Amino acid sequence: MKKPFSWVLLHSTLILIAVISLLSGLRIATLSYPQLLTVSALLPQGLMHRWHLTSAAFFSAIVIGYVFYLALFRRAARRQWRHRDAYHRAVEWFGYSTIAGLLCTGVGLYFFSQPFWKTLHFVAALLLLIYILLHAIIYLLQYGINILPAIVNFSSVALSKNIMVSVAFLGIAGGFYFLYLQRNFYSLPVAQVETDEFFEIDGIADEAGWQNAVTVSVPTFGGANFIDGATSVRIKAVTHHEDIFFHITWQDPTQSLAHLPLLKTEQGWRIIQDGFHHFNERSHYEDKFAVILADTCAPGAAGTAHLGHKPLKDKPAHWTGKGYHYAGAGQMVDLWHWKAVRTNDMFLADDNFIGEPDIARPGSRRYTAGYMPDGKDSGSYVMNWDWYKADRVIPKRLPKNPAELAGYELQKNSSTLNWVIPWFSYEPYSETKDTYPVGTIMPSVIYTSNQFEGDRADVRARAQWSDGIWSLEMARKLDTGSPNDILIKDGICLWVAAFDHAQIEHTRHARPIKLVLKR
Amino acid sequence: MTPFKRTGILIGIIFAAGFYAFLNRPLPPPPGDSPLIKIDDQGQSLAIWSGPWSCVYDTRTGLLWEVKTDTEDIHHSTWTFSWFLSGRGTENQGDCYFEAKRCDTTDLLTRVNQKKLCGSGDWRLPTSAELLSLVSQDVLPGEALIDKDFFPQVQRGDYWTSEAEQELAPIYRHLGTGALVVNFSDGTANSLPYRNAAFVMLVSDTHKISKK
Repeated sequence: MKKPFSWVLLHSTLILIAVISLLSGLRIATLSYPQLLTVSALLPQGLMHRWHLTSAAFFSAIVIGYVFYLALFRRAARRQWRHRDAYHRAVEWFGYSTIAGLLCTGVGLYFFSQPFWKTLHFVAALLLLIYILLHAIIYLLQYGINILPAIVNFSSVALSKNIMVSVAFLGIAGGFYFLYLQRNFYSLPVAQVETDEFFEIDGIADEAGWQNAVTVSVPTFGGANFIDGATSVRIKAVTHHEDIFFHITWQDPTQSLAHLPLLKTEQGWRIIQDGFHHFNERSHYEDKFAVILADTCAPGAAGTAHLGHKPLKDKPAHWTGKGYHYAGAGQMVDLWHWKAVRTNDMFLADDNFIGEPDIARPGSRRYTAGYMPDGKDSGSYVMNWDWYKADRVIPKRLPKNPAELAGYELQKNSSTLNWVIPWFSYEPYSETKDTYPVGTIMPSVIYTSNQFEGDRADVRARAQWSDGIWSLEMARKLDTGSPNDILIKDGICLWVAAFDHAQIEHTRHARPIKLVLKR
Repeated sequence: MTPFKRTGILIGIIFAAGFYAFLNRPLPPPPGDSPLIKIDDQGQSLAIWSGPWSCVYDTRTGLLWEVKTDTEDIHHSTWTFSWFLSGRGTENQGDCYFEAKRCDTTDLLTRVNQKKLCGSGDWRLPTSAELLSLVSQDVLPGEALIDKDFFPQVQRGDYWTSEAEQELAPIYRHLGTGALVVNFSDGTANSLPYRNAAFVMLVSDTHKISKK
C-alpha cells in the first residue's frame, strides 16, 4: 500500500533523526553513565551537542508535522491504523508515549538543567531503543528487507495537502533549529559604574557598585560529588569600561582544600588519591570553578566539547574516554580556572584558553588537546613530589619546622590549616630529615612565588566559602591585548562549571549565558 | 528467507557489534616514541613515562645532556654562572648555593665530573650547534623552546656554550671578547661578556645505552 508523500517524508526523517539523536545522546550520556563506555566503539565522537540539538529540532518538528498530517490525512491514517495487527498497534502507542516523553524530558533538561530531567531523559532514550526493537526490528524480522519499499513508496495524490505538511514540517524544523542553537540563552546584563568605583577582589560583593547588578541563576548538573551532581550558579557582572567584574556564587556543602595530600606510610610517602593516576581524581582534590568566554554561542561549551575516547584520530586517546576540549582551525575561546588552593592565595584565576588541538607530546602521559595555559613570565605552583608514582613518591621539600605538620591528619579540610606550602618555609628533602611518623599528612601544593607574572595572571580572583556557599569575585580588563584572551564585549557567551573536589568531572549547562554590555 | 533465519542474522549482527565494541574498547593511551631517552643517575635508561631522571640521551646527536632540577642541588635550574674555563674568562660572577664563593662554569664542571653524573666523567660545555639542536618551536605558550617533558626546568634565558673569543655587541666591546650563549626564549645564539651570569646545561659525548 502506497503512503502519502508527507508520511514518507516524516517517517524517513524520523528514522534518520532517531538514529542520530540516540547515538549522539548516548555519547553525551557517557559523561554521567560511564558504564556506557562499554559500547563506546559503536558511538560517534566529536561535537555531539550540536548533533543532538539539531536532531532535537527535527524531532520536535516531526511531532508537530505528524499532528498536521493526522489532521489533513485523517482517512489515510485511519486506513493505515486498521491495517496493523494488535501487537503493532500496542507498540505504536508505546512509541508515541516514548517520543512524547523523550521530547518533554529533553526540553526540561535543556531549559531547566535539573538532574532529574537528565535521569528521565536517559530513561526515555532507553525506552526509544526498546521501541525501535519492538517496532522496526520486528517488522524487519517479519517481512525482511521487503518492508523497505513499503515505507518509502509514496502516492502522488493530494499534492497540495502533502506540500502543506512538508513545508510546515521543514519550516518548523528550521524554527526549532534557530531556537535551540541560535536564540536560546540566559541574558546577563552588565551593570555600568563610574570608572573610579572601587572593587576589592576578596570574594565578598559588599561594594556599592554591585547594587545595580542583575543576578542570573544558572542551574548546572552532571558534576561529581555535588548533591545529585547539581549546583545552582548565581552570577552578576559590573563594568567600568576598563575592567569587568563578576560575582559568582554556587552551593557546595563542603569546602575542599586537601589537594592530593601526602601520607607517610611504612614504605615512605604516597599521594592520597582516588583516580588521580588516570587524571580523574574524585575525592582528594581542591574545589574549582571555570568560566569559558567565547565569541560564539555554539552548543557544547562554544563548540569546544568533543566527546569520545579518541575524537582526534591522530592524537592520543583520552584516559577516561570522556573527550577533549579544543577549538576549530583559527578559533580560540578564553577559559578562567579558579582553584581553591592552587590559585586562590595568589588572588588569581589561572588564565587559560582553548585553542586548536596541541601536537601529541610523547613524553607527556596526559594529552589535553586544546586546553592550554596562557604564557607566564614567572611564578607558579608545583606539586611536592620529585616524580609522580602511584605507590610511592619522594617529596621535593620538607618543613623546616616539623611542628608545621601538626593537626593535618585530624582536620582534613579545615580552612584554619595552610594547604599551600610557601617555598622558603620548607627545605629540600633529605632522608636524614625525614623522621616523620607513619600517618603524618603533608600538603602538596608549593608556591614558588606569590603569584604568576605575565599573561597567565590577567584574571584576578578570590573566593570565600561560608555555610555551604562559595562566593567568588573575578576581574579582568575588557581588552588585555593578549592573543590568548578574547575581547570582552556585548554579545559574547559564557559557560560556567563548578568542581566539587573533582579533577575533571564538573557541572555543566546546555544554554549559554550571553553578556549584554552596553557602552 | 524465513523469520527464523532473519532472527539468526539479527543475533549474529548483535554479537558482531558486541565483539567489535569489545575489540575497540577504550584503553589508556600507550606511550609514544621520542628520539630522547631518559637516563637515571646511574646511567641506565628509563621508559619514556618513568622518572625521576638525571640526564637525557639524544639519539639524533648521540649526546648525553645534564637535566636541571628544582631541588637546590648542584643541578638547580636557576643557578647562574660566569664563563670561566681553563684559566680564561671571569671567575665567580654567577649565583648558586653550592659554592662558598660565587659560581662560574668551571665550578659546575668540576662538581658534575667528580660526581660522574649518569656514569659519565667527561662533562663539558656544549657548542652552540649542540645546544641549538635542542631548540624546539613546538612548545606551549610562554614556555622555553625545548621539550619540557624531558627538560622540565630549562629557563627562558641564556645558556653558555664552549665557544669563547667571540666578538661582543658594541655596548660590551670595551670588555674585549666573550662567549656564545643560546637563548631558549627565542632560540638564537649571541655573544655575552664572560662576566655575565647565565645558565648552564652540560653535555657529555660518551654514553652507552643500557636498560634498567
